[in-house]
Amino acid sequence: MTLAKAGTKLVLLAGFGGVLGLMALAGLDAIRALHQLEARNARITQEYLRRHRSLEQIRASFYLSSTVVRDFLLDPNPEAARASLAGLRGIEAQMEAAVREYAAAIRPDEQTLLSELKTDVGGYWSTLAPAMRWTPRERRAEGYGFLEREVVPRRASTLEIADRIAAINDQALSHGSRRSAELFVEYRRRLTEIFGLTLGIGLALAGTSIRHILRLERESRLRYDQLQRAQGELKELSARLVEAQEEERRAIARELHDEIGQSLNALLVDLGNLAAVMVPAAEEASRLLSTAKHLADESVKALRNMALLLRPSMLDDFGLVPALHWQAREVSRRTGMRIDVETEDVPDELPEEHKTCVYRVVQEALQNSSRHAQAHSVRVSVLQGPARLVLTIRDDGNGFDASRVRGLGLLGMEERVKHLGGAFEVLSWPGQGTELRAELPFAAQPQNYEAV
Amino acid sequence: MNQTRILLADDHTVMRAGLRLLLERQPDMVVIGEAADGRQAVALAEADKPDVAVIDIGMPNLNGIEATRQIVEKQPEIAVVILSMHSDESYVMRALKAGAKAYLLKDSAEADLIRAVRSVGEGKSFFSPAVSRLLLEDYVHQLKQRGEEDSYELLTTREREILQLLAEGKANKDVANLLNLSLYTVETHRAHVLQKLGLHTVPDLILYAVRKGIIG
Repeated sequence: MTLAKAGTKLVLLAGFGGVLGLMALAGLDAIRALHQLEARNARITQEYLRRHRSLEQIRASFYLSSTVVRDFLLDPNPEAARASLAGLRGIEAQMEAAVREYAAAIRPDEQTLLSELKTDVGGYWSTLAPAMRWTPRERRAEGYGFLEREVVPRRASTLEIADRIAAINDQALSHGSRRSAELFVEYRRRLTEIFGLTLGIGLALAGTSIRHILRLERESRLRYDQLQRAQGELKELSARLVEAQEEERRAIARELHDEIGQSLNALLVDLGNLAAVMVPAAEEASRLLSTAKHLADESVKALRNMALLLRPSMLDDFGLVPALHWQAREVSRRTGMRIDVETEDVPDELPEEHKTCVYRVVQEALQNSSRHAQAHSVRVSVLQGPARLVLTIRDDGNGFDASRVRGLGLLGMEERVKHLGGAFEVLSWPGQGTELRAELPFAAQPQNYEAV
Repeated sequence: MNQTRILLADDHTVMRAGLRLLLERQPDMVVIGEAADGRQAVALAEADKPDVAVIDIGMPNLNGIEATRQIVEKQPEIAVVILSMHSDESYVMRALKAGAKAYLLKDSAEADLIRAVRSVGEGKSFFSPAVSRLLLEDYVHQLKQRGEEDSYELLTTREREILQLLAEGKANKDVANLLNLSLYTVETHRAHVLQKLGLHTVPDLILYAVRKGIIG
C-alpha cells in the first residue's frame, strides 16, 4: 500500500512537473524569440537608414558641386571664383567622408558597386582638378565647353551608380524583412512543436493517472468488499456463537432441573420415608438422616437458582412476559431497585430468537443500571406495534456520555438486536439517566383471545 | 373407613414410588393409580374418579397444567395438587387458573404432601410455605417501593371474611351457608371485594390472599 502510494506520488509529481516545465520553457522561448526578432528588425532598419543617408549625402554633394563648378567656371569676378573654388574643396571632402561612411556599412554583395562608385567619384574630381587651376581667361574661353563635355556626363554616370546602390539597399531592406518573416515562421513552428509535445505528454500523463487511479479505486473497492464480507462472516459467527451458548444454557438448565433436580427431590422423599420406618431409638441414624436431608434440600435450592440464572424456565414454558416479570422481581429483590415492567399486546408465541433477544437485553440493561448507574428505579416496557416489537428500558441512574462511551455490554445488546434486523439506540447523558431503545421487526399474528 | 382415593402423576419413577410410600403410610389414604405423563393422568382420572389428583407440573406429552385443566373441566369434584420445582408466581398463577387447589414445591413434598392432600380433601386451598412466603415478600416489597396503600384496608369485616372463604376454595353457595347469607348477597360482596382489590378472577383472588398471608 505504502509502496503503491509512493509510486503514484512519483508518477504524478514527475508527470505534472514535466508538463508544467515544458509549458514554462515554451513560454520563455517564445518571449526570447520575439525579443530577438524585434532587435533584428530594429538593426536592419537602422542600417538601411544609415546607408541611405550616406548615399543621399553623396548625391546631394554631386548636385551642389556641379552648381559650384559652373559658378567657378562662368563667373567673371575673380573674388567669387575663389570662393567657389574653396566651396568645391569643401564639397569634395564631404563626399569623400560620405563614401567612407558608406564603405563602413558595406555588405559583401555591394563591394563591386562600391569600387565602381569610388572610381567614378575619384574620376569626377580628377576631371575637375585641371579646370580648377585655370586662369580667368582660360575659364572664359573653355568654361562652357568643359562643362558640356566633361562634367555633366561624368556626374550623370556617377549618379546612376548611386541609384543602383540605393536600389540594392532597398533590396537589402526587403530581404531583411523577408528573413524576419522566415524567422518568425520558424519560431512559430518551434512553439507549435513544444506545445504539441506538452499536449502529448499531458495526455499521456492524464491517461496514466486515470488508469492508475481507477486501478487503485478498483483495488480499494475489492478490499472493502472483502472487509465487508469478513465482517459479515464475523457477525454471523458471533450470532451463531450466541445462539449456541443460549442453546447450551437451555440444555444445561433443563438437565439440572429435570434430571438432577428430580432425582434429588426423589431422594428427599425417600429419606423422609426412611426416617418414618426407622427404629425410633436409633438417634445417631436419625441425626445422620436429617443431615442428609438438609444437604439434599440445599442442593435442590442451589440447583434451582443455578438453572434459573442460566435460563429461566418461564421463558420456554410461558413466554416473554412472565419471564420479564420474574426477572424484575428477582433483580429487585437482589438489588433493591424498583423495577416496573409494562407490556402491551405482546404475543405469547414470540419467535424463539425474539424472546431470547429481549430477555437478554433486559437482563444486561438491568445489570448495568444497578452495577454501573446506581439507579433507584427502572422502567421496562415492551410494546407490540403493527410491524415491530418495541423495547424501552429507562433508568434514573448516573448516565454517561453515550456518544463517547460504549461498553462491551451495550455492544453485545446491539449485536443481538441488529442480528434480528432491528434498530438499537442508546440515549444517555451524565446525570440524566439512560434510555435504551430496541425495535425488532415482527408482525404479530392475530391473537387467540380464547386461550388463557 | 372412608379413605381418600389418590391419583399420582409424575414421570419420574423413583419419585412416584417414594410419594406412594409416603401417602400409603397414612391409613386414610390410598393410591389408586399412577400415571407417567399428562395424557395418562387425564385418562386415569376419568376412569378411576379419584378424590385427589397429585400432578407433577412438568411431564412429557401433556404438561401438568394442561392435564389439570382437562381434568377439572370434566370433573370439577377432583381436587388437584400441583407438584412443582418452580416457586415463581407465574407458575402458581397458571396452576390456579387451570383449576388446581394446591401448589406444592417438590422439595417440600415429603413434609407437606399429606397436609396438602388433607386440605384439598376438606375443600381448602394449600400452598407450600416457601411459595406463600415468597409471594408475600414480593407483595410487601412492591407496596413499599411504590409507597402505595394496602387496598386490604378498604375492605369491610364481612368482605374480609368472604375473601378468606373464597380464597380457601369455597364455592359461593358454601360461603352463603357458612355465613348464613343469601347467595345473592355473597355474590354482591364478592364483586365488591374484587373491585376494591383491582382483581378480576377467583385465581387472582387466591393469589392475593396468599400474598397477604390470609391463607396458605
